[in-house]
Amino acid sequence: MRTKARLLAAATVAAALAAPTAAHAHLVDTRLGDFYGGALHPLTELDQLLPWVALAALAAFQGARRARWVIVAFPLALLAGGAAALLLPAPPFGPILGIGLVAATGLALAAAARLPLPVLIGLSTVMGLLHGLQNGQGLPASTDRLLFLAGATAAGYAVMTLATGGALAFLRGVGGWRPIALRATGSWVAAVGIMVLGLQFAAPATAG
Amino acid sequence: MTVPSKPSLPLAALLSLIPLAPALAHTGSGVAVGLQSGLLHPITGPDHLVAMVAVGLWGAQLGAPAIWVLPITFPLVMAIGGLIGLAGVPLPLVEPVVALSGLALGLLIALHVRPPLWVAAVVVGVFAIFHGYAHGRELPGAADPTAYAVGFVVATGLLHLVGILIGVMVAWPAGARLVRACGAAIGCVGLYFLLASVGVLS
Amino acid sequence: MTTVTELRIRLRLALLAVVTLVGVLLPALPAAPHEASMAVITLREIAPGRYLGQWTMPPADPTLQPIFPAHCRWEPPELVCGERGLIGRLSFMGLGSTQSVATIRVIPRDGPMQAYTVSAAKPTAMAARDPGTDLAVWLDLAETYVNLGIDHILRGIDHLLFVLGLIWLTSSGWMLVRTITAFTVGHSISLAAATFGWVGIPEKPLNAAIALSIVFVGVEIVKLQRGEIGLTARYPWIVAFAFGLLHGLGFATALTNLGIPQATLPIALLFFNIGVEIGQLAFVFAVLALIWAHRQARAVLPRWGAALPAYAIGSIAAFWFLARV
Repeated sequence: MRTKARLLAAATVAAALAAPTAAHAHLVDTRLGDFYGGALHPLTELDQLLPWVALAALAAFQGARRARWVIVAFPLALLAGGAAALLLPAPPFGPILGIGLVAATGLALAAAARLPLPVLIGLSTVMGLLHGLQNGQGLPASTDRLLFLAGATAAGYAVMTLATGGALAFLRGVGGWRPIALRATGSWVAAVGIMVLGLQFAAPATAG
Repeated sequence: MTVPSKPSLPLAALLSLIPLAPALAHTGSGVAVGLQSGLLHPITGPDHLVAMVAVGLWGAQLGAPAIWVLPITFPLVMAIGGLIGLAGVPLPLVEPVVALSGLALGLLIALHVRPPLWVAAVVVGVFAIFHGYAHGRELPGAADPTAYAVGFVVATGLLHLVGILIGVMVAWPAGARLVRACGAAIGCVGLYFLLASVGVLS
Repeated sequence: MTTVTELRIRLRLALLAVVTLVGVLLPALPAAPHEASMAVITLREIAPGRYLGQWTMPPADPTLQPIFPAHCRWEPPELVCGERGLIGRLSFMGLGSTQSVATIRVIPRDGPMQAYTVSAAKPTAMAARDPGTDLAVWLDLAETYVNLGIDHILRGIDHLLFVLGLIWLTSSGWMLVRTITAFTVGHSISLAAATFGWVGIPEKPLNAAIALSIVFVGVEIVKLQRGEIGLTARYPWIVAFAFGLLHGLGFATALTNLGIPQATLPIALLFFNIGVEIGQLAFVFAVLALIWAHRQARAVLPRWGAALPAYAIGSIAAFWFLARV
């Protein structure tokens, strides 16, 4: 499982390395049609994949009984957000909120924060709604929206489930270094979030 | 400066073979392209590279609680440095300070100095801020800032891990000596860059 | 007693994975069976190095255009390649989601017809006069058809649902291996038989029968949940083999639709089959990983919802069956 997650990560990194433009072009063109296009789309967006994994690890720190709610809440919110994107434009605060979520989940994971269940579910819901809304934007007219939406939701469900299950299994292993390793990951995610968030605010200043 | 113990000499020779040029052109070296440039950035600057390994090494040598605190707090302190860089606040003497922190960390490892935790935190923290600053300066120019940030964060984390894994050897007497030798080598590299950055060496 | 409890827990785990998958896939379900959207252009050699081109199956996307090697001049409908003839890299401009596969058929003045298939996954094909000895041509063929096989199974939600049902019905890892192997053997046999033209079933009743096979699996799962350990739960590989024969015929329709020349048929069949197995194994491992993750998170369906997924699978398949009859 861990190897699978690692493979996935490696594949994502490789994909990002091989085609730096692919992350920019909003739509990932896959030969397998719009379902898989939708599934692959969030996986190539580090702004999404990063907080997903951090959220899953954060959930794992809350123990299995709480963590499993993330597996339910997040994909549903992702689906709802995607459905809303059919009607609504992307919110103007989207990028800031998105990066803020990266920093927040990263920090919470680094601190191994104990979160009340409603907070955990709320965090998953906000993240899912936002990413769903963002994924549904700017699709070419030829894209089958339902398939794309289904694909993105399937990817959200699969990543969240695998990462949560993987993190739980990892934490159950022996060794005091395991929680530290997960928290260190969270710290790195937070560092990325803080710096890119800083960039969001600094960008107008440097441009001007 | 202490005389490096025997095994460190070939190591120092080996390290000196690393191409040195890119480190001096650290800020503003061309357009950073996403993840790839982020990943390569800390690795192609040998002064940063050795200092980063030294951080992990020292953490392992100091043992608990430093080895637990370090990997979690370093990135956050580094992010603060990154913010300072982003804000465009001019920090003086970036390259000399990075080189100096390499030299200091190397010496501390070689001499097996065990300062109180807060002293260690300050030494590493200064380095973290300056290291983050150098990256933060490059962030706005990156093709994909998030990818670039992830790239150098991954590279930095892996370098720490290398240091920590080498540092695991302190459990054995021979390993402990080797770790100290590594420290001496790192100190030498740091010294070289310090002299180079202040213009003593061309 | 413990084994029954164990079985129940396992089922509920699988159920949750399935209910989520099904819920996610539901909007994606096509009423009609999936078909490869093909475009075929035929080039007939009218004089040495001169060909007349014509769409035998026009593309869905009218902007699709063939791209020929640099030494050829393409002025539709005529292609002039000179002395060297039509050899070199063939490709299509405009392959994408509406048109995923396109084939160039070449009918030389002497010798058998040749077909070069290009897909979005493998955007070029090498045209050579004699594909019998050229290693590069064989590799080219392998790449094309392995990819086509993977694409076909991954896009074929009816096949995937059936495999999902099989995973569900098996109660141990070893039994799963045997069941999936039986399914593989079954569909390989009938795929080969149908591709060589030994057996043939019209496409419509075949697709309806495939839908019916999924209904059957759904019913078996519900039975198993009620504690009736029937033939399928005891010997799932028998069911897998029998229905594998059926699904193989379905794969064959997809393959023969591509229009493969007789000379390369066996090898194309082999590579297509390998591709199907790769895609199928990837799917099986993905489902197993999800079940494992659910177990780790202790995330199982509540008791009242345990039968939902089986009913969902059954009703979707029944709907397909009705739509296909």
